[in-house]
Amino acid sequence: MLASFAAAGIASGSSVDTGTAALTIGVFNPFSGPDASFGPEQMAGCLPAAAAIEAAGGILKHKTLNCKASDSRGDPADAVPAASQLIATTSNLVGILGPSSDEASATVPIFNRSKMPMFADTGQAIFDKNSYHYYFRIQPADDAGGYAMAVYAKDKGYKRAVAVFGNDIGAQGTLPTVTAGFKHLGGKIALSETLPLDQSSYRSEVEAVAAAKPDVIFMEADPQTSATFFAELQQLYHLVPIVGTTATIQSPWFSAVRGAIGAKNLKKYYVGTQPYAPTKGPAIVAWTKALRSVWTKVSQPASQWITNTYPESNYDSVILMALAMQAAKSTTPSAYIRFIVKVANGSPGAVVVHSFAQGKKELLAGKEIKYVGATGEIHFDRSNNSPGLFEMVSSDGQRGAVLSAAQVNLAK
Amino acid sequence: MTAVVPVYSLGFGLVTASILALAAVGFTLQFGVTNILNLAFGDLMTASALVGYGVNVIGGTLAESLLAGAVFGAIASALLNRYVYTPFVRHGTKLFGMVIVTLSTGIVIQNFILGWFGANFFSYKVAQTKTYHVVGMYFTSIQFMIMGLAIAVMIVVQLLLTQTRLGKAMRATAANPALAQISGIATDRVIDVAWLMSGALCGLAGVVLVLNTTSFQSTTGNDFLVVIIAAAMLGGVGRPLGALVGAVILGIATEVSAAYMSPSYKEVIAFVVLVIVLLVRPGGLFGNADAVRSSNA
Repeated sequence: MLASFAAAGIASGSSVDTGTAALTIGVFNPFSGPDASFGPEQMAGCLPAAAAIEAAGGILKHKTLNCKASDSRGDPADAVPAASQLIATTSNLVGILGPSSDEASATVPIFNRSKMPMFADTGQAIFDKNSYHYYFRIQPADDAGGYAMAVYAKDKGYKRAVAVFGNDIGAQGTLPTVTAGFKHLGGKIALSETLPLDQSSYRSEVEAVAAAKPDVIFMEADPQTSATFFAELQQLYHLVPIVGTTATIQSPWFSAVRGAIGAKNLKKYYVGTQPYAPTKGPAIVAWTKALRSVWTKVSQPASQWITNTYPESNYDSVILMALAMQAAKSTTPSAYIRFIVKVANGSPGAVVVHSFAQGKKELLAGKEIKYVGATGEIHFDRSNNSPGLFEMVSSDGQRGAVLSAAQVNLAK
Repeated sequence: MTAVVPVYSLGFGLVTASILALAAVGFTLQFGVTNILNLAFGDLMTASALVGYGVNVIGGTLAESLLAGAVFGAIASALLNRYVYTPFVRHGTKLFGMVIVTLSTGIVIQNFILGWFGANFFSYKVAQTKTYHVVGMYFTSIQFMIMGLAIAVMIVVQLLLTQTRLGKAMRATAANPALAQISGIATDRVIDVAWLMSGALCGLAGVVLVLNTTSFQSTTGNDFLVVIIAAAMLGGVGRPLGALVGAVILGIATEVSAAYMSPSYKEVIAFVVLVIVLLVRPGGLFGNADAVRSSNA
């Protein structure tokens, strides 16, 4: 064991890492089960980042960075042993992408205990304030997304809403704030319906929704559940405007619901809320270039990832960790972790960089840097969360209104 | 709308019951004859639905998709039994061991689908159908087709089991395989036929399930497995007629209960009904408790 650490040059006592062994980022998310689409989305961010880092000569003297998939199956019972196995059996593991909402409560403590930096994609509000030193999140929490959905609906003039959410922990995270926010803004929540997932039918639930006569439906459920629900809503009542959470802005969700109600109807009735990310600028150019360099390696069709903020944020997460290692001159997590916040938040006089290559160059020149990536500016708070702006997006990827933090705060 | 709540709920329940009946009868038919609790059944439903989807994509009609799903389900089930399950049985693997074998087989099938087709969702290309109102109930033409298919299949299965030599041989094999063999029944062949029939129903159930859900993925059939087993147990394990009745009770109980309370509880209600029935009649509605005790032993 000692020999392998010495060979890798990442013994925690060493001040400067001189090892050359390949480093590994663990991509810890569901790759099977109902949320099997989450994992490929993470990989679609990790692989371009690894390619960009390798193209720039790697981290310190480590030329290679691997992305290792670890399947949590979206279930805490499977995720706990999977997390332990990932940590115990992966050489030169330097960071984690994940966990998702499905398994975060059970596995964040495990990664934290193992002193392994993780960039979680969980939206759970319980992590808004936390004491996990190794936990980071660069996407807004679900509860903030709920307020954004309420603000958008109110701005559109909707007065009577129905909240339809799956009974899984991920979906339920947004429910309290979207309902409270909409009421706070003067709207009425006529019905709050919880859908047991993946049933063969939701006709009874549809009847209840129809009886409530909503102007708008706030929605989050897995793709299959949503498809069945909306197909039956269309059959038994009629479609009404849908405002979805970030979790609905995914290719599998669109694919499933499009198959159920048709592409035209999906475009007409649906809009989703997602964390805002710029559509142009040097960071987007770097992201697109990196993605194109691994075009055939990511889950196909690769074009789905270009404007998707989830892989963009995963890409940014890996670049941030890499720059932090470069700044710390160490790949040891306990040594480089404090540089993550430093590189993201910046300090007075820091040079703003938009790619790993640019950041590495400035660091080697002895300068301090601030990374502004594909998802825009990242600023970690005391709990290592980076709240951001929100934007509305349609099923064909067209981006609409951007909601500022001040607008979102109106719903609180 | 409130005044007709039970009536429309009854309609919803009939559609759910029809899908459930096809699956539960197939499940219990095979279990009754072979005593193997096939937990790969749900995943075979998904695989069959995918085959039907393939036919649909290349321009096949719905009937052709159903046929393809049924044929695939039948062949796949028979092959599974012949080349996976039977060797374990011959090596003396007991009931619990076989449960693990079938569970593992299901996981293999599910992950094979996931690996081969990715974490994608599939939807049959079916024209938007009109909704018909029938005495306060709402049905689409596809739902009419599902109910009609379920009724037709149930009649055929019932006639086959009660009016043909094959049906009698199956019932004899289910009751006492050793005695059936001594009496001259080719039990191996009967078991093959049971797997073929069960697989065909599994395939049909898979296709109609995903027609109703409109989208499906690698886990869809497996998500439905617990309710299928519940319907089979409610009717009496190994009793096709019981499975049919169990499916109708569960289907209607879930949807009608949703008319009176939060639909979140509809599955809870279904399983409360199951527990109550099994407390009163441990062998299920059409089964006998002794059989349950002997298979537990």
